[in-house]
Amino acid sequence: MEEDRSHTNLPTKTLGLDADLQKKHQAMLDRLSNRHQARLDTSLARRSDSANSSESTSSFLSRFSASKQSIDSQLADSRLIATSDPSRLRSHFANISSSISDLEKLVAENSYFLPSYEVRSSLKTISDLKQNLEILNSELIPKKKFSFKNKATAKKELPKEPEPIKPDTVSVSNFKLPNSPGFRNKTNETLVKKLRGTEIGEFTLSDLESCEVRLIGCCNAVFMNRLTNCKVYMGPVIGSILIEGVEGCVFVLASHQIRIHLAKGCDFYLRVRSRPIIEDSNVVRFAPYCLDYEGIEMDLEKAGLSEETGNWGNVDDFKWLRAVQSPNWCVLPENERVGKVRTEDIGS
Amino acid sequence: MGLLSIIRKIKRKEKEMRILMVGLDNSGKTTIVLKINGEDTSVISPTLGFNIKTITYQKYTLNIWDVGGQRTIRSYWRNYFEQTDGLVWVVDSSDLRRLDDCKMELDNLLKEERLSGASLLILANKQDIKGALTPAEIAKVLNLESMDKTRHWKIVGCSAYTGEGLLEGFDWLVQDVASRIYMLD
Repeated sequence: MEEDRSHTNLPTKTLGLDADLQKKHQAMLDRLSNRHQARLDTSLARRSDSANSSESTSSFLSRFSASKQSIDSQLADSRLIATSDPSRLRSHFANISSSISDLEKLVAENSYFLPSYEVRSSLKTISDLKQNLEILNSELIPKKKFSFKNKATAKKELPKEPEPIKPDTVSVSNFKLPNSPGFRNKTNETLVKKLRGTEIGEFTLSDLESCEVRLIGCCNAVFMNRLTNCKVYMGPVIGSILIEGVEGCVFVLASHQIRIHLAKGCDFYLRVRSRPIIEDSNVVRFAPYCLDYEGIEMDLEKAGLSEETGNWGNVDDFKWLRAVQSPNWCVLPENERVGKVRTEDIGS
Repeated sequence: MGLLSIIRKIKRKEKEMRILMVGLDNSGKTTIVLKINGEDTSVISPTLGFNIKTITYQKYTLNIWDVGGQRTIRSYWRNYFEQTDGLVWVVDSSDLRRLDDCKMELDNLLKEERLSGASLLILANKQDIKGALTPAEIAKVLNLESMDKTRHWKIVGCSAYTGEGLLEGFDWLVQDVASRIYMLD
């Protein structure tokens, strides 16, 4: 277009101009014709190039169907990925999307020699593929009204991960904190505490390794952090239990609320009035509460837990806010559960 | 809509206050909200997302936004900052180990420009539990005295379990917000 205009303007504009301007104009014309030639050359080169790679309709069709097949199989894979490794889903979809646009480019490059029927049918295939991708995308990465997407949280999680390693003391001030009742820094021990008749409100278990803990009676709140390969048997807790950083443990707990953070490879036998939650945890399994000791009925009643609520299996995973089952936890198969645990029997 | 009904509506809106409840998980935010509303607090699941409660308190309508405190969803708190009149920071006074975390999250929150005008009520919850820190101790750990002088704040000890201290805290908050935004009343 620009070229055309400059040509048509030529006669009127150049007529009365001095030689200098004319020279300039000539240079411009030369440049334009050079550009035109260069463009012709490259387009010829491109044609011969694509002609080399697919000289005929049939070779185009075979290339086309091969990549279509690979995209189809990628699409089929996404369901598998959605169940096994959902965090990869986004990049997986991005890959498919780029393969589809490559395919689209292939069609466009070859469209000048393809029969119009083939062009139309290839374009139709591409739009079908796009649609399938769209459907899978909206199905496997559902949009919720209020959703917590993995992407955003992963970003926030990164710098925060090392936090649980912090020491127990509050370093932010010179304020000295009283040490609350609990078991701390023990290895290979059996730790027993009778809470009944004591004034203990909250109880702490921290930094225990290969220990067995038995708490008999009620208390108001329990905190546990950094336990490895421990067994924890606990009478009912009236308020809440907060667990952070546990690995390879077995817990038998009853409480109003139970929050489990950073747990790995643990079994939980629970009775809870509300829904237990897990966050940043994996390979955790759940089963109903199974503790028994002299007078446990009285304690359960005191904590409002005398009846099974069934909530032990209603686990909310804050790292998996989707309708489908979280891959991070499961129900402990019945044949792998321990039977009724009586404190008289355990560890003795 | 007639002019009168529009005026009525504006008038009613004027008496509304937006209260945002935040704090670490397990601090008792939902229990506090249900307790002041006179609801059953015996079965409360950890909050996945948020709850909104509209409560008539004295002559004001409080819209209380109770937002979940689990670490994963704390980054969503900022979605609720806009137009907040009163901020309630709830502390589990028996959770000594996470006071560091608690201080850090509160400090971050107070840096937020959209919350700079909000009155701040700190509820030192779980005072019913033996071994819980007193409000004075919590204030010291959180270093509240060094807060920006322009901020209206108060710390109140409470127990969502027994209900003790809740009214004292909300009375102060509502009065403080009212005196700031409804001065002409």
